[in-house]
Amino acid sequence: MAKGVMIVAEQRDGALRKISLELAATARKLADQSGDEVSAILLGSGIEGLAAQLGKYGVDKVFVGDSPAMEPYITEAHAAIVAKVVKDNDPAILLMGASVQGKDLSSRVAAKLATGLATDCTDVKIADGKLLAIRPMYAGKCFGEIVTNSNPAMASLRPNVFPAVENAKAGAVVKVDAAVDAASIKSKVLEVQKDTSGKVDLTEANVIVSGGRGMKGPEGFSILEELAGVLKGTVGASRAAVDAGWKLQKDQVGQTGKVVSPNLYIACGISGAIQHLAGMSSSKCIVAINKDAEAPIFTRADYGVVDDLFKVVPELTAVCKKMLA
Amino acid sequence: MNIIACVKQVPDTEAQIKVKADGSGIEEGQIKWVMNPYDEYGVEEALRLKEKNGGDVTIVSLGPARAMETIRTALAMGADKAVHICDPAFDNADAFVVGNALAAVIKTLPHDIILCGQRAIDDDAGQVGAMLAEALNLPQLTLVTKLDFAGSSVKVIRPIEGAQLLIETSLPCVVTAQKGLNEPRYASLPGIMKAKKKPVDVKNAAALGIATEAKAKVAKTIPPPARAAGKIICGEDPVQKAAELGRLLREEAKAI
Amino acid sequence: MEHTTTFSIGNEGREVFWNAQHFEPILFLLTAVALAIFAYGVYRRWQMWKAMGKSEIRWDNIGQRIKLLLQDGLLQVKTWRDPYPGIMHGLIFFGFFVLLFGAIFDAGEFHITEPLFNWSFLRGNFYLGFSFLMEVFGLCVLIGILLALFRRYVLKPERLGYKGKPDNTADDAIALLLIAGIIITGFVIESLRIYVTNPSWEVWSFAGWTLSHAFTGMDYNTAKILHKISWWTHTFIALGFIAYIPYSRLLHIITTSANHFLSNLKPAGSLEPIRDFETAESFGVGKLEDFTWKQIFDADACTRCGRCQDGCPAYLSGKPLSPKKMVQDIKTFWLEKAPAAIKAKVAAAAAAGDAAAAPEKALVGEVIDLHELWACTNCMYCMEHCSASIEHVPKIVNMRQYKVLTEADFAPELQLTYRNMENNSNPWGIGSHLRGDWAKELGVKTLAEDPNVEYLFYVGCSGSFDDRGKKISIAFAKILQAAGVSFGILGNEEGCCGDSAMRGGNEYLFQALAQANIAVMNGYGVKKIITACPHGYNALKKDYPNFDGKYEVYHHTEIIANLLAQGKITLKNPVSGVFTYHDSCFLGRYNEIYQQPRQILKAIPGMKLVEMDRNLNKSFCCGAGGARMWMEEDIGDRINNMRTDQAIAVKADTVAVACPFCLTMLSDGIKDKQMSEKMVALDIAEIVLKSMGMEEVKAPVDVCAT
Repeated sequence: MAKGVMIVAEQRDGALRKISLELAATARKLADQSGDEVSAILLGSGIEGLAAQLGKYGVDKVFVGDSPAMEPYITEAHAAIVAKVVKDNDPAILLMGASVQGKDLSSRVAAKLATGLATDCTDVKIADGKLLAIRPMYAGKCFGEIVTNSNPAMASLRPNVFPAVENAKAGAVVKVDAAVDAASIKSKVLEVQKDTSGKVDLTEANVIVSGGRGMKGPEGFSILEELAGVLKGTVGASRAAVDAGWKLQKDQVGQTGKVVSPNLYIACGISGAIQHLAGMSSSKCIVAINKDAEAPIFTRADYGVVDDLFKVVPELTAVCKKMLA
Repeated sequence: MNIIACVKQVPDTEAQIKVKADGSGIEEGQIKWVMNPYDEYGVEEALRLKEKNGGDVTIVSLGPARAMETIRTALAMGADKAVHICDPAFDNADAFVVGNALAAVIKTLPHDIILCGQRAIDDDAGQVGAMLAEALNLPQLTLVTKLDFAGSSVKVIRPIEGAQLLIETSLPCVVTAQKGLNEPRYASLPGIMKAKKKPVDVKNAAALGIATEAKAKVAKTIPPPARAAGKIICGEDPVQKAAELGRLLREEAKAI
Repeated sequence: MEHTTTFSIGNEGREVFWNAQHFEPILFLLTAVALAIFAYGVYRRWQMWKAMGKSEIRWDNIGQRIKLLLQDGLLQVKTWRDPYPGIMHGLIFFGFFVLLFGAIFDAGEFHITEPLFNWSFLRGNFYLGFSFLMEVFGLCVLIGILLALFRRYVLKPERLGYKGKPDNTADDAIALLLIAGIIITGFVIESLRIYVTNPSWEVWSFAGWTLSHAFTGMDYNTAKILHKISWWTHTFIALGFIAYIPYSRLLHIITTSANHFLSNLKPAGSLEPIRDFETAESFGVGKLEDFTWKQIFDADACTRCGRCQDGCPAYLSGKPLSPKKMVQDIKTFWLEKAPAAIKAKVAAAAAAGDAAAAPEKALVGEVIDLHELWACTNCMYCMEHCSASIEHVPKIVNMRQYKVLTEADFAPELQLTYRNMENNSNPWGIGSHLRGDWAKELGVKTLAEDPNVEYLFYVGCSGSFDDRGKKISIAFAKILQAAGVSFGILGNEEGCCGDSAMRGGNEYLFQALAQANIAVMNGYGVKKIITACPHGYNALKKDYPNFDGKYEVYHHTEIIANLLAQGKITLKNPVSGVFTYHDSCFLGRYNEIYQQPRQILKAIPGMKLVEMDRNLNKSFCCGAGGARMWMEEDIGDRINNMRTDQAIAVKADTVAVACPFCLTMLSDGIKDKQMSEKMVALDIAEIVLKSMGMEEVKAPVDVCAT
């Protein structure tokens, strides 16, 4: 009978990603309800040392597939190994991260295991001895409670949502054979282009710091660049700022510019004309910083700061820098 | 080149989503249905591949009768023909069932490349591409923002956190489209008119011979917690306000 | 001195063909040749007019058309509106017209009434008056010509060129010099005759009389030879002039007059709907042949006067579009293509075979640059002021239809707008279920709740979704409520009026939107509609009737002006400041609503109303019409900023508008010009509400109310 909670840990360049710790801690919490074991799959090349870290966050047993074939990540190779380990160990629950890699891998593994998967969950619990996964649908306009009848019940967890609580366990290493038949792998990573600028295209950015007419000039944008740099975000602009020639058209957010939906949108010195709102209102969290308390942007903002942006923004940059250090 | 583009009909992004009182799903009455925007990138890319390399584009869609509208939209954009999988048995299908159903159809068609949206904006699951690839035993390239066709293979750009990967895969393969891949075209009026006459093959579950039982079930649909009204940050001075904003973004909104 | 015996004091007159008695047969022959050349030219042109273009009926309602011909052709009403060129053209036109009659009188007497009826009417006082008039009008023409030469070659006004470069052609000079030549040689002949014959009464021919003194001392034979030479010169120039007409800009005598006759008698600015979507392969105008014959004929009626260019917001803000240039480019293209088209027609008739079309320039994209095509705001300044009754705007919309419907090749931001209109029936793509939300706290009922109301308030997209526009809707609804007017709204059943779709070339989308609205309105039996947006007003009033949507449509300024006149609302609170009213194109030029907004503003106590330089039918567009509201403006100056500058120039502190698009554009302009602290743009309804003392004073936001 299927038993226990298994996670697929994610590492990049020899370091565990934060989501892996969140997965471990969450799995621990679920497993403790039935007194089950938490196991983890860790794949990569030269990564055996990371198993102990997983142990610190509540993993009893780590299946380590350490092989050059596991680096860099290739869906087909990783999915094959994960599926094999899962089949061999028959966990009741399999958790992965809803990161770019985790989303890609989890769906393929679910297909291989012919089981159900709840993507991008914001909450998981055990109800009637089964995994109940709660996830947003329709861009968060409603939530679904997902129940899976096949084994294992799979869920991918949204990063940054679940706490990574330390809870030291053995973290015992079990080596698994991570060799793959090269002929069966049809994809090849030709190049990893590390983003050195730290700038992501507006439409793909998780964080956007935008400036409008209130920036008073092109120089004003430098404080937004700094904040965006700290938040790993991208700087955008309203039509007024683009028209004034302070930013380029490609940076424009709005009806006639780019339509964006980042996790965090910080509007600085933007009054919030309807053309602008149409381009950013689907952002998950909207912050408005403007000294005009009547600015329409405040009606759409989750958080508003009525003050001089030239004073608030540098302070916020400092606060964020401290928090993310 | 035989190109397949999978499309799904979904509620418009701005549509009001009302959860049914019994939690069994959403009210569909007032909803404006559109083609899933990510699928639109897929269709557009399919058409560009066809325009550059020749061949034809077949649309495959699973959905109720109303999904025909979306299929016609794809045909109006320039696709050549379509298969519509339509059967009430699929009403509660999950990605596993949908992936298998699409695969069952695609298996019967010549295919060099299969394009899907990276996710549908209704259930936001983002699984069908991979499920389909597995069912066809093909490599998958998800969340692609650039695609170059090079004879027997494709090279794609696939952004991951903090980097982007340049990946090469042999054909046939499944590619899921991410925003940024292209700008979908606006259908021309002659295109819309011609689309009405293009062939659409309607298939039911029996014709596909696959199981329709979902693996993952939506046991209950619940409305989101009421969106808290926007907060105006308190504070004596900009320093205090910035500190409070930072704290709220981190702890309450979990946006940092 | 050579005296003729026939004429004397009391029987004044002159000998026709004096000193030219034997020239008559040659003159007749030459006249026949000139007329033949003229006739051939017109015939050839006629073939060219017929050769291309779709059919269109422009000869219904003959009475009205004749009236237009007399008004704008004979009386030159449109030309007069602009004083210098109006007077200049009037002097030449009327002068020449009268001289022509003079020549006909002369010829009629000599060739018809004298030989046939032995009746000479150019005698005595009539002759003297006649002579005097000929002198006056002859001089008029000369003055007109001098004014024209001075204007064209010395003053060089911008509108007689393109982007600072005059577009003068040799033809312009030839035409003027021919006319001048006719008049001058005419005076010379006359003065030589007077010099030789010297009748005392010829003092009435004061110009010739005066000029005759110049020959004093010349012997009569020399004078007579000189007279003969002048006579022939005059004849050649005059006949040359006639022959030259169809081959030159002088043809406008015919084409422009005809164009007045062929005017569009439908409401100003209304567009002909596309009726066949199902079977047509191409939509709008992509090729020259896709225009109607009348649209092409328009181009041949253009005199390059440049009145259109003078107030064109696109041209003045530095965009490549000039209505004149566009029409001239169409004309040039037509002149290139028409001969082949005539041949093809003849060949088709003979062999019924298709002549293989040679690859050619594309009308849309090459002849008319796409930046020109999309720069138009549909403000209709060009059409309002065209002295040749040319219809520019429909041509532009038709060519846009080709780009949008047939080729689906147009600005991405406009594509987004259209998708939004398709999916949520508003240009911003805001959820259509939110359309009625603005009215929720006002107690305004929807027709679904109470269909028994007098008026439907059709709110429109700006008034429903734009936070700024909603304030107008709220203000107007409160005014109606205060006045006890029975009205309702459609709430979420309302849809976008489609004006931007139609003017941006998406006729298909426009018709879908219009039909959806009409279905709802007709379902409730709506009879009277009020709109606060001139775009909806114009579309509902002029374009919806094409789809069985026939309503009495009012703009809110008409309703408010009426309520004021009836005393149903009172403006008690003074609103001080310097106000200027910006005429919306779709209210003013399209619908001639100029006075109601001004009446309302004048009724407000305490207000000082000043006019901007460009006002009424010469008002300058805000830049938002013709779907430009939804497009980037990346060439030249921003039109809204230019209009804002015009308001700043008259030191206004409030720009009153009656259109939500204008309000957005001017508010943006005020912000861009850093004038936010000194100046504000308000809708008339908002100002009225203020003066009624009903404007809510909002409590300042409590910054710590978390």
